[in-house]
Amino acid sequence: MSVLPLDAADEVATEPVPPARRRGVPGFLRRPGGVFGAAWLVFIIVASLTAPLWRPYEVTEQDTANRLALPSADHWFGTDPLGRDLLSRIFTAGSLPLLSSALMLVVAFGIGLPLALLAAERGRKVERVTSRSTEVLMALPGTILLLAVIGVIGNRLYPVMAILGVLISAAVYRVMLGVAQSVRQRLYIDAARVNGLGSLRVNLLHVLPSMATVVAVQAAQLFGIGLLIVAGLAFLGFGPGEPEPSWGFMIQDASGHLFDAPWLLVPTGVVLALTVVAANELADAIAGKKADKVPARRKERLPVAVADTAPADPSAVLEVRDLSVAVDDGPQLVTGVSFALRPGTVLGLVGESGCGKTMTARSLMGLLPDGVSVSGGSIRWQGRELVGLSEKELTAVRGREIAMISQEPMVALDPMFSIAYQLVGPIRRFRGVGRGAARKIAAELLRNVGIVDAERVLKSYPHQLSGGMAQRVCIALALTGEPELLIADEPTTALDVTVQAEILSLLRALVHDTGLSVVIVSHDLGVVADICDDVAVMYAGAVVESGTAAAVLDDPSHPYTMALLGANPHVPEGEPVPLRLASIPGTVPPPGSWPTGCRFASRCQFARDECTAPFPALPAHGSGSVLCIRVDDLASTHATWDAEPVGAETVADAVAEPAPTAGVS
Amino acid sequence: MLAYVAKRLSLAVGTVLAAVLITFLLVHAGSGTPGAVKAGPGATAAEIAAQNEALGWNQPLYVQFFDYLGHLFRFDLGTSLIDGRSIAADLGDRLPVTASIALFATLLSAVVGVLLGVTAAVRGGRLGKLITTGAGVALSLPAFWVGVIVVYLLAIKLELLPATGYVPFSSDPTAWFNSLVLPVLTLAVGGAAIIARTAAAGMREALGQEHIRTLRAMGTPEWRIRYVHALRFSSVPVVSVLGIQFIALFGGSVIIENLFALPGLGQAGQQSAASHDFPALIGVVIVATVVVVVVNLLLDLVVAALDPKVRTA
Repeated sequence: MSVLPLDAADEVATEPVPPARRRGVPGFLRRPGGVFGAAWLVFIIVASLTAPLWRPYEVTEQDTANRLALPSADHWFGTDPLGRDLLSRIFTAGSLPLLSSALMLVVAFGIGLPLALLAAERGRKVERVTSRSTEVLMALPGTILLLAVIGVIGNRLYPVMAILGVLISAAVYRVMLGVAQSVRQRLYIDAARVNGLGSLRVNLLHVLPSMATVVAVQAAQLFGIGLLIVAGLAFLGFGPGEPEPSWGFMIQDASGHLFDAPWLLVPTGVVLALTVVAANELADAIAGKKADKVPARRKERLPVAVADTAPADPSAVLEVRDLSVAVDDGPQLVTGVSFALRPGTVLGLVGESGCGKTMTARSLMGLLPDGVSVSGGSIRWQGRELVGLSEKELTAVRGREIAMISQEPMVALDPMFSIAYQLVGPIRRFRGVGRGAARKIAAELLRNVGIVDAERVLKSYPHQLSGGMAQRVCIALALTGEPELLIADEPTTALDVTVQAEILSLLRALVHDTGLSVVIVSHDLGVVADICDDVAVMYAGAVVESGTAAAVLDDPSHPYTMALLGANPHVPEGEPVPLRLASIPGTVPPPGSWPTGCRFASRCQFARDECTAPFPALPAHGSGSVLCIRVDDLASTHATWDAEPVGAETVADAVAEPAPTAGVS
Repeated sequence: MLAYVAKRLSLAVGTVLAAVLITFLLVHAGSGTPGAVKAGPGATAAEIAAQNEALGWNQPLYVQFFDYLGHLFRFDLGTSLIDGRSIAADLGDRLPVTASIALFATLLSAVVGVLLGVTAAVRGGRLGKLITTGAGVALSLPAFWVGVIVVYLLAIKLELLPATGYVPFSSDPTAWFNSLVLPVLTLAVGGAAIIARTAAAGMREALGQEHIRTLRAMGTPEWRIRYVHALRFSSVPVVSVLGIQFIALFGGSVIIENLFALPGLGQAGQQSAASHDFPALIGVVIVATVVVVVVNLLLDLVVAALDPKVRTA
């Protein structure tokens, strides 16, 4: 009774779960908590309902010689102050709380669920009325109101719990409305409507099944709360009167014998607690909450054998050689990546989603996701090896020497703090100035990235900024430590086309004015052509072609680069628009399923048998490389990646990169 | 912001009116009459009818309702059917008892819960699992059972504190404090468990946010990332649950006050329910609703202060 139904509503995830079509053991039974919860609930329900059939003693039968006895062969759980058998009484008492809580659930869902479906279907007007009334209902002090009900209708627990069900239906409504609304937003519901299904059938066939998990989770939690409330009422004397047994009153009884028979407290309390714990564990298991879903501590990276430390290119400020990134005890995500960055230049990493561009970029700062780490190779930054540095040493490099801007500026800034706070902190840390001076520098940085009303932006919070403005702030933030290298991971992907051009020209100006070096990750060849001096084309975790941007884009050697160029809808000015864009059949093979030899072979127009054997990268484009065994054949025949007669409409898939999928990008 | 406050205020007033209306209708829907309660058992039908007439029970419902509302605006909750005492004065004496228990229990839950939850999220591993699992069990335990165990261990076995009873602050502050320790401890077990789970989930969510990666990329010290940025991010759900917790503890006080013999609101509710003292019951519901509504309003203000999205909306 210490828990109001309210907080159950808050603990339930409102994410709808698509109806599961799996057979066999349901997911929650694969978790220990779920097994325990389900097993104990089934046991207690069966044992309580059948208690009159098997109980060793009648509930009123007094063994006067054995009052307040400890457990024995005759009385497994001991006896109460009147010598009555506790085992028989506890299990006989179970059916009332179990059944009345079930009744409460039926009432609560019987009202809350249809109301939520109705509000979700009928739209704003209905929803506003029902939501306001349920808000009022939820703000009422449930437990105290229940006492008033008892004061009027007496100790009749079934009607009392049914009324509690009415009160709780508000909490059910609130959770279910959220789920129903987001289910309805999904397209297949619209499709079902268009197909002429009636409202009832849409709800029964499509909306309800998607809500099953959330319903089950909330039902299990509310069941536990119901049990606590019934027992609490009985504890207060609002339960079945003596000599009828009830859990709450038996604990009340026990509290009067703390001096002479503390054991009395144990059996009833443990059975009640176990039943509530079981209901909650079951709820957690159904919700898929894992107690062990705790992220491990950020562990220090293991030192990686660094191959060869002599810099091949003395002019390079950053040199990556044979870099491999892998899931710990899992597949490789990036293999044998090498490239060099000259000071004051821009290097582009291009390729489709899932080619390892972002992993490569993030490994440069030691910012790989948990469970992913550099498994080999070398990253030399200004002559210093970054692979194998401790977290502490890397922290000193981050922001001060190498900074990063990310794909989604809108979520890259802390929503809880003002822009001023977020800029002033790093400025003070990096430049050792006072608060006032730091604020001046912040305003200046904002003006440098093209923000005119810097003072207003400084006072703003991230949610008040547009995407382009937020990306400018992110760039200003990255510049607070006056870094020499900026890693830009798809810096323009999430922005409008007009804003994209502005951000790119800002980056270009920064490189020109400050001598900043940039590694830019992009799937957009237009961006690469626009801003990059050098380019490394990545496919399935490897660099397939690299060199100066001009050489690679004008005279591609690798079929994948040709295909990307052929699939690019941007046509340089003056050139004829092709009738049909080329496409690349198939998709990038996911990590762990890469073939030996050329990883692109299965999608390549020019693949031959020899492509399936391993081969080394060949020098190309001056200081660059190309990873194709047929590169000379193709060059001599002037091969081009042709638009295929069929399937050209899939061209969009080849370049348009959707939101990054889990893990690798 | 002003519109936000206005909306919340109107909802608050609506809630109190709804509570009055619901309990009023509830009392009138029942089969019992106040006359029968006041006249006591064994009274004749004529005596009961006379009492009902005197109490205005036979007037039209709306007349009685507006009459009651009129008195309510003057903070007059009527008199008890059992002993004729002023209900408003009685509840006024009882409110501080319940409020102090609920307040201290909420504060203790907050401190312990946030410490445990943040530790679970930040440390992870075995300790994190232990805390999460332990909290899952603790929040399922019946408060009255925990209370009896606490009494057994601390009052009877260790003889540290008085088992039951209440001493007003004005007569002996130390004894007052001692009389609150056990009830507060009892309520805080479940409260801290819920806060710990909320805080752990909030911290975990916060640490997985994109802006935390930005902070890492800026070389921000780890303690700052955790205890300034992530903690601030998770403060909104924690504060919301704290408010809900306070309200729940207010309800839970019925049982705790019974167990520890504390003269609070909950005890009044229990006694009025047992004796069918209708005006006292309505009074308890109204006072409890006002407390809930005021706490919710304060909570909204705190959330607005914490969350710039609400504040600047």
